[in-house]
Formats: sequence, structure tokens, C-alpha cells
Amino acid sequence: MTATPLGTATPLGTATDVAASPEPLVLARVEWPSGPGDTVANLPQIAGFVMSDFNPLVAEIAERCLRSHYGAAPADPARGASTGVVLASVRGDVMTVAAVHSALAEGRRVPPLLFFQSNPNAVVGHVTARWGLHGPVVCTSPVGDPLADGVAVAALLIEDGAATEVLVIAADLPAHENENDREYAVALLVAGVEAGEG
Amino acid sequence: MADPVARSVSTRAAREPVVVSGLAVRSAAGSGADLLARACAGSPAFDAVTRFDATGYRTRVAATLPGDPALVDELAAVIDTACADASLDSDLRAGTPLLLAAHADRDNRATAAEIARRTGLPTPSRIYTAACVAATSAVADAAVMIAAGRAERVVVAAGYLVEPGTFALFDAGRTLARDGRVRPFSAGRQGMVLGDALAAVVVESARSAERRGVPALARLAGWGRSGDAYHVCQPRPDGTGLAHAIETALARAGVAAGDVGYVNANGTGTVFSDGAESAALHLAFGDAVREIPVSSTKSVHGHALEASGLMELALTVLALRAGQLPVNAGFIEPDEACRLDLVLGAARATDARYAVTVNAAFGGANTALLVGAP
Repeated sequence: MTATPLGTATPLGTATDVAASPEPLVLARVEWPSGPGDTVANLPQIAGFVMSDFNPLVAEIAERCLRSHYGAAPADPARGASTGVVLASVRGDVMTVAAVHSALAEGRRVPPLLFFQSNPNAVVGHVTARWGLHGPVVCTSPVGDPLADGVAVAALLIEDGAATEVLVIAADLPAHENENDREYAVALLVAGVEAGEG
Repeated sequence: MADPVARSVSTRAAREPVVVSGLAVRSAAGSGADLLARACAGSPAFDAVTRFDATGYRTRVAATLPGDPALVDELAAVIDTACADASLDSDLRAGTPLLLAAHADRDNRATAAEIARRTGLPTPSRIYTAACVAATSAVADAAVMIAAGRAERVVVAAGYLVEPGTFALFDAGRTLARDGRVRPFSAGRQGMVLGDALAAVVVESARSAERRGVPALARLAGWGRSGDAYHVCQPRPDGTGLAHAIETALARAGVAAGDVGYVNANGTGTVFSDGAESAALHLAFGDAVREIPVSSTKSVHGHALEASGLMELALTVLALRAGQLPVNAGFIEPDEACRLDLVLGAARATDARYAVTVNAAFGGANTALLVGAP
């Protein structure tokens, strides 16, 4: 896939009045859903993750994005050594949170497996272990546009020299503010200009 | 093996020196000089939880502030104090980016907006939610923004208040210490104890602080981040990931391992994590590790999850300034897997110029911040 300027990135959307880092190049981009078969019922399950669509959704969008550019897992070790991951999710894993709250409200013990998915880092750990990605791991709740902010965080990592490539994932489960709400996810693999041209 | 990232940061290093020009903390163990005094006395702030019913869990204790405080109220207050410490008036605040760290929550957007409204700082772009490295990741990003000349100063704030959900989750994960004590790097350690923490720091370019006549509390001389690529929640046992973060922080500043005079460890008191961290410290510092005092102040203020890294950065700054290194409390006896020069029994006097504070989190996320005396 040919590297392209980001193009679709928007400013941070907040009043920080800070010049952004140089815009990275997009090496790969995938979206969920991308076809009629993309439903949460069809998401591949991940061993050890239960009761929530969030982690399978993140893992699947990451898998598709990395596979489209790196081929089969794991990544080439030289690239994986400095590939970071940014996961931007406005609301986070609301299904796991709801499961914990339900257990507490009903006086039941919290299922032990929920501990392992109690933070968005966990599924990123699944992705990085599978693909051999040793760069920084950053998870955020963006205030503005999630994908644009995820890219802004990735740009900082690249500018810092902390990563040469970054998998940026924006993902959220439905807010159920109206009946048409559904899950979404976007993943980009981005690189600094030097890496993208190299 | 050549390290492409370490090589990269060394060539990009020190474009604009970064300092800490203000800080504030609030916890059950204290809020400033009294917090350092308590950490140096090795006197834990753990007590029975009264905020909710903790009956039936592995432990009923935590390090909690009185009552049931609200996160927004507490964060706004600690940010105000840090801004005052750095002499940021309302005009300066309006142009100073804010980065927050807190637990992933569906209401985070509202939280961010309300804190901005109350503090006069701009609405933050994001809340960092990356577990135990959330706050230190925000500090590293702030440092990058300043080092690159993209901001003159950034306020970083983090908060965690012990509440039933995380308490139940950590109990379910069997990570809470049954004996209600955090015993980092000790044989017989049983796990962690949760604790409230609110912390805020003003990170600023050295030039800006000097121009404003605000004394630097410390230099943020280096920072490093890495991933273990190992497991969803366990650290890589050989410590290579965390070691890489530490080595990157040192390389960025051009500081040798032997110049580091204190490590504020992640030291959660869990069997597996402390062993992996000890391995990382040996890898990163080599033979010098035998002469570097180490303590985990979680043994006094507890584990504040997303806020822990900022709390520990603040304590590291306070310790360097006071020349007193906090105690690694709760220690019973040595563990062969954790052969470190722990600060035991009483605080240790120091004239160290550099200290490192390290954190590690779920997903194999690691950070290291190198603090230099001003």
C-alpha cells in the first residue's frame, strides 16, 4: 500500500492553541463496519476476554489493519521494535463497566476475568504480544474527534522518537442515545515522513 | 543489538530544556512536605475503608481521604494549587494546555469540560486512561510538546479515588494484599493496597520559567516509554521492556547509570511484578544498581492506579529537593528475586542530582521519567 498524507485529520478541536506535531503518513487504514457481515455477533472472540464487545472489536480492527500492511503476524522484528499503539475511545469499555456495576448492585462477586479487561491497556497488550510490537502503549478518552486526537498522540510519539510507526485505533461501543447507534472502529497505521518514504 | 529508538531520541534530545515549575498533591498520606515526611518515616496511611462496604473482600483497607470526595472537586483544587505554585495567573492559564489522567469512564468528556471551566485552563484534548502509566504518559507528552517548542508550559493532572468498582475488580483479580500492607520487593509480599491520590504538575520550558522569574523545582531531564509485547496484564518477566524505557530516559539526557542517585520504583507489592521490575533495574543500570537506593512509596500512599505515576513523580521531586529518600515500608526480609539497595528502616540522606521514577501497567506499558535537581 502506498503511503499517503493523512488528509482527513482535523485539528484537535480544543482550545489549547498548540501547534500540532508534523502530520504522519498513513500506511494503512481500515474501518468497522466495512460490510454487511461486520456485526458484533461475528467478531472473533479472544481467549480470556468475556462479556463485552469492546475488546473483540479493538482486536479485530487492529488485526485487519496490521495484516493489510505487515502481512501475517508477527510483524517484522525490526519494525515491531519501534511500533507503538494508541487506542482512543471516548467512553471506553462500557459493557465491562456495566457488568461490574450489575454484579455489585445484585450483591454478586465480580467475575475474576473482568479484572483482566478492567482497563483498555489489556486488549492492546493482546495485540502487541501477538504482533511483537514493542513501542509505547497509550490509551485515551479523547474530548474532540477520536481518530484525529489518536493521530495527534501518535504524531507526538513519532516526533519524540519513541516510535517510528504507530497503530492508531479509535473505537467505541454504541451510546444508545438513539436506536440507530452502533459500534464503530477505525484503525490507521501511521509513520513519520522519513519512515513512510523509506 | 543497536537500539533504533534510543539512537533516535539521543539525536533529538534537549531541544528545549524542560522543568517542573509547580506541583501539588493530595492523598491520605499527606499533601506536600507532610507527605514527604510520612514517606520518609515509612508510615503507611492504610486504614479500614468506610466509603463503601468492603466486607467480604481479601482486605478491607485502603489509603483513603476522609469522607467521599468528588473527583472533579479534588482535581480542580489540586490544579489550582499547582498553578498558584507556578505563579500562573488567569491570563497564563488560559493559554496553557491541560492534560488529564483518570480512569476510562463514559463521562470523561464532561469531566474534562468541567475541570477546564473551574480552573480557567483550556479544555484538554484528551484524558489519558492507560492504567498505571496514564499520568506519566501525559507527562511525557507534555515534555515532548515543550521540548519541540510547541508549548511553553503544560499542566498535567491526575486523580484516582478508591471506589467500589475498582476495589471489587482488584479483589476479583486476587491482587489486593490480604494482610493490608504493601511490601514492595520483600519476601512474603501479598499484593497491593489501593489509595486515593490527586496530583498536578506544571511542566514548563526552562526559558519560560526563567523569564517569568519562577524557580524550577526540578528538571525533567529525560523520559522513556516502551511496550513489553508480552501479555494482557503481566509484565515481561525478564524486565527488558521496562529496562528499555529507563535506558531511553537516560540516553535522552546523556546521563550515566552511575549518576542516578534514587529510583522511585513502581513496586506494587505483587510477587510477579516486583520480580520483573527488579530484573529491569538490573538490566538498565548494570552493576551501578548495587549503589542506587530504591524505594516504592506505594508502601505508604497505596496504589492510585491512573494517578500513581504523577504522585510518585511529585514525591521524587520533593525527595531530591529535601535530600531525603523515602522508605520502602512494609519490608519483612529479602527476596532473592529482588536484590536491590532498598531504603529500609529510616530515610536516607542524599545529595543525588538525578532520580528516576518508573511505572509499569497492564498491556505491558512502561514509562520512566528522569528527574534532575534544578
